[in-house]
Amino acid sequence: MPRINSPAELEELRKDILSKRDPNRPCITLCSGTACHASGSEEVAASIEEEIKKQGLSAEVDFRKTGCHGFCEKGPIIVIHPEKICYLQIEPKDVPEIISQTIKEKKVIERLLYTDPTTNKKVVHEFEIPFYKNQERLVFGSNGKIDPKSIDDYLALGGYSALAKALSQMSPEQVLEEVKKSNLRGRGGGGFPVGRKWEECRNAPGEIKYVIVNADEGDPGAYMDRSLLEGNPHSVLEGLIIGAYAIGSHEGYIYVRQEYPLAVENVDIAIKQAEEYGLLGKNIFGSGFDFTVKVHRGAGAFVSGESSALMTALEGRVGEPRPKYIHTVIKGVWDKPSNLNNVETWATVPLIINKGADWFRGIGTEGSKGTKIFSLVGKVNNTGLVEVPMGMTLREIIFNIGGGIRDGKKFKAVQTGGPSGGVIPEKYIDLPIDFDELAKAGSMMGSGGMIVMDEDTCMVDTARYFLNFLAHESCGKCVPCREGIKQMLNILTDITEGRGEKKDIELLEEVAAMVKDFSLCALGTTAPNPVLSTLKYFQDEYVAHIEQKRCPAYVCKALVSYYIDPEKCQACMICLRQCPVGAISGGKNQIHIIDQAKCTKCNTCFEVCPPRFSAVRRLSGEPVPPPVKDRVLARRKG
Amino acid sequence: MVNLTIDGKAVTAEEGTYILQVARANSIDIPTLCYHQALEPFGACRLCTVEITSRGRKRLVTSCNYPVEEGLEVSTDSEAVIKGRRMILELLLARCPNVPLIQELAKSYGIEKPRFKLEDDNCILCGLCARICEERMGVSAISFSGRGLERKIDTPFHVNSEICQGCGACAFVCPTGAIKLEDITAKEPRPILSEFNVGLNPRSAIYVPFPQAVPKVPVIDREVCIHFLTGNCRICENFCQAGAINYDQEDEIIEAEVDAIILASGFDLYDPSAVEEYGYGKVKNVITAMQYERMISASGPTEGHLERPSDGKTPKKLAFIQCVGSRDTHHKLYCSSVCCMHATKEAILANEHYPDLKAFIFYTDMRAVGKKFQEYIARAEQEYNVTYIRSRPSKITENPDNGNPIVWYEETTARTRTSMEVDMVVLCQALIPSGSTKDISDMLHLSLNDYQFVDIPDRLFHPVDTEIPGIFACGFCQAPQDIPDSVVQASAAAARAAEFLSKED
Repeated sequence: MPRINSPAELEELRKDILSKRDPNRPCITLCSGTACHASGSEEVAASIEEEIKKQGLSAEVDFRKTGCHGFCEKGPIIVIHPEKICYLQIEPKDVPEIISQTIKEKKVIERLLYTDPTTNKKVVHEFEIPFYKNQERLVFGSNGKIDPKSIDDYLALGGYSALAKALSQMSPEQVLEEVKKSNLRGRGGGGFPVGRKWEECRNAPGEIKYVIVNADEGDPGAYMDRSLLEGNPHSVLEGLIIGAYAIGSHEGYIYVRQEYPLAVENVDIAIKQAEEYGLLGKNIFGSGFDFTVKVHRGAGAFVSGESSALMTALEGRVGEPRPKYIHTVIKGVWDKPSNLNNVETWATVPLIINKGADWFRGIGTEGSKGTKIFSLVGKVNNTGLVEVPMGMTLREIIFNIGGGIRDGKKFKAVQTGGPSGGVIPEKYIDLPIDFDELAKAGSMMGSGGMIVMDEDTCMVDTARYFLNFLAHESCGKCVPCREGIKQMLNILTDITEGRGEKKDIELLEEVAAMVKDFSLCALGTTAPNPVLSTLKYFQDEYVAHIEQKRCPAYVCKALVSYYIDPEKCQACMICLRQCPVGAISGGKNQIHIIDQAKCTKCNTCFEVCPPRFSAVRRLSGEPVPPPVKDRVLARRKG
Repeated sequence: MVNLTIDGKAVTAEEGTYILQVARANSIDIPTLCYHQALEPFGACRLCTVEITSRGRKRLVTSCNYPVEEGLEVSTDSEAVIKGRRMILELLLARCPNVPLIQELAKSYGIEKPRFKLEDDNCILCGLCARICEERMGVSAISFSGRGLERKIDTPFHVNSEICQGCGACAFVCPTGAIKLEDITAKEPRPILSEFNVGLNPRSAIYVPFPQAVPKVPVIDREVCIHFLTGNCRICENFCQAGAINYDQEDEIIEAEVDAIILASGFDLYDPSAVEEYGYGKVKNVITAMQYERMISASGPTEGHLERPSDGKTPKKLAFIQCVGSRDTHHKLYCSSVCCMHATKEAILANEHYPDLKAFIFYTDMRAVGKKFQEYIARAEQEYNVTYIRSRPSKITENPDNGNPIVWYEETTARTRTSMEVDMVVLCQALIPSGSTKDISDMLHLSLNDYQFVDIPDRLFHPVDTEIPGIFACGFCQAPQDIPDSVVQASAAAARAAEFLSKED
């Protein structure tokens, strides 16, 4: 491997790589991110390789397994360059046709294209699909173009040019100033200004300083950092080295959870490659700057994503937060100044250095600059990872990119910021998304989780779900968080199971207020958010549960009964046969009756009852009428 | 030095100290549960939260670990603080409704019945036990395990710890009594037994030997002190406000030139387990007179209550066995001289404490050799329910059903063999010259008699003079005797020494 000793040599190498690549040569990129992997991209990859060989195209076609493309709903995804023809939900059986038709004959295969659900038209190119068209993929965009295991792919796209620029043309102070000027805020949750953090760390006394990548993303349903580290590890490394240069650190750690095996593998490879190229190690680019990086695999506790807990875990101890009255930039890992930023933040840094702070400030809102990657999941048509400029409204994200709510249901709310974020109701659908607006609405940016909920979601149950997650994931160190969450969970469980009392709402608010103010770390201080935000926007649902013992969304099983309307039942035996617990009695010409004692409220009968009968009814907050005595079905004649 | 105000009071503090320390030093109370002077602040119970105004901004912070700053304003009892503390205590009381410490603290904040679902835990997860084990003992035999709802204090793999040194610091520091050493250690927990209370109760490694000790200062027992065994701990240093703890202090040998010496080395107790037939150490409810003496003493380990070792029950029937090792060809031939009277006194005391208690004194022959001593015995018989039985019991066995000792003896008046089951037996063991008597005598070239007492050549005219002029002996080191006799001899020895010294001039 050639060691790169100067920015000039880097440019030479880049030219060399590009000279061997023909931009017009067909290239098949296959998303090999975790979600596509789960949908079978490995099998697809094997058949692509086999088919290229079989059809004698090895010398004419490139094939690249790339990182996550983001449109996880429709994986595995193939994009064929240079045209950028996008095929979705590929199976191995589709591959021979793709090679013979699209690669050889340049014909588009209609059935594999994206169909716009509103117009029913087929979309050929990736960039025309609404999911992609409405995004601004600055940080995440390269994921689909490069093989994360190839540093040459990254270099070909201009990789490490920001590092070369920083080390050869800028002093550490200038790098720091540029980042400060960009107003970049941390993407991990708190939104603290990155430049200020770096500056504090730079100015902290001490020779040894650490820079750390927080890749301990643990929110349920959020995987943007994972996908970025899996799909473009060099962009994170490059940002980290630039940051280390600005701060005056010579040692870095990447704290990545063990449950992200592909991220661990790819980042390990990336570090090795960067070391071989001389981009890590001694005297990088001949600048005299030394920097090394180690990977630390986290044991997988949600709380270890909290900065002080992460640092404690990095020291080899149990990941528990410690007080931060003395900031971690002054006293962090092993009491040394330590600067921690999350994956996305670090990956944004090279863009700022390359394109300048002014360019970056041109994107986003007054207080929040740049773009943000969100993990769009839940009851939305297009789930996946989306990157949008700060300030885009929820409506644009959910409806234009996300393609609206599934099954034509009504949008109810969106939970942002992970389990300790809050719920934002429909009336704020036009809320421009940035750090401050979300906080004002009672939620938070968090690391960018976005869970869309439809009308069938019970908000009390939602709060209970998140509190249950937090009760198990709290480290349990401090009393407010451990005992407070537990008791809030007890109360919420009581409410959803019909044991709620009038005083519960007030008590919930009282506990939540204390937990918010008295907890040790951000996990605790934000833990009441699911409760407080649902109480704020959906208090009527709480009242219905408590006072009428009614779950308006028919979610809370203890409050819901299933009943077959004898007037409507046509004794078709469908529900009777499908009931998994045999709770339905009846027969041909005999009206079906649900045995309430046996019914497990699995919703099957409700789902299978033919819509033309609609005989199965869900009841909540009202008694089940007594069974009819005369069960003989009087069929309407004619 | 840093200037700040706490509850409106201007105070100064050393830089680097925490608000809590400064507040307490200024007699301002802040409640804590997870704070301990010997440990790093933990910030977990959050009870010590105070409201501060720093650079114009109001904030709630934990006082145990917030470093003081110039111009800081602290309020330890603002409305927000009190409200939060009340909720914390309500939550803790719901977790531990039966822990007195939490009950009291909660009550002081007006909480008696929590509005939450009650549990029945007695551990508040303050972590003092685990932290003291790690930070001060350097062992980490216990720690937190699990997180969130599953968090608890445990040993690795839930088995009794092999690395636990059994020091008991965890149980000692536990504020709720949740820690039981036997659940933690793989070793047999071995208390350090109090010498003064004859092993009836434990003492700590740093202790005052007995209440009237001269000089009355605490000493560190190097044989058992964790610091001397492992180099760790040193907690006493944190607590001694006078800074008097000195781990480097060594024994000193002082040489003095003197003209006269008075030997008063006293007595030791003969080991009653040597008298095997009486079962001391095997039959649980057989104790020695000295143990009994500490038990019946109001300042003793049981505060004057008689509690038999096997089950702590108060005995109703008590036997005293005289001449245990005294006047015995297998042990000591001489009469120990004081036992008939102290057994009588002890039997009287027992009856005074428990009027329905009956005492039996098994004696060889009654040696009440002093003014009114015989009348004392008569009173014991008539007024205090004491029965004297003239007999030397042959053996003591145990009733396996109830742990009662059975005294086997010959009824000498009737010449029959019989037995008596009692609740507890007190052995009045022989008294012997103290161990140091022989060492000092060897040093001074003094002869000892057959029974290892210091030889007095002329008992009649010079009862305190040893064979060497200028060396005098008084008290038990020269012959068995009671306290009044010892005092008389002590005076005599002092007078003889004075006389001797004056002759020298």
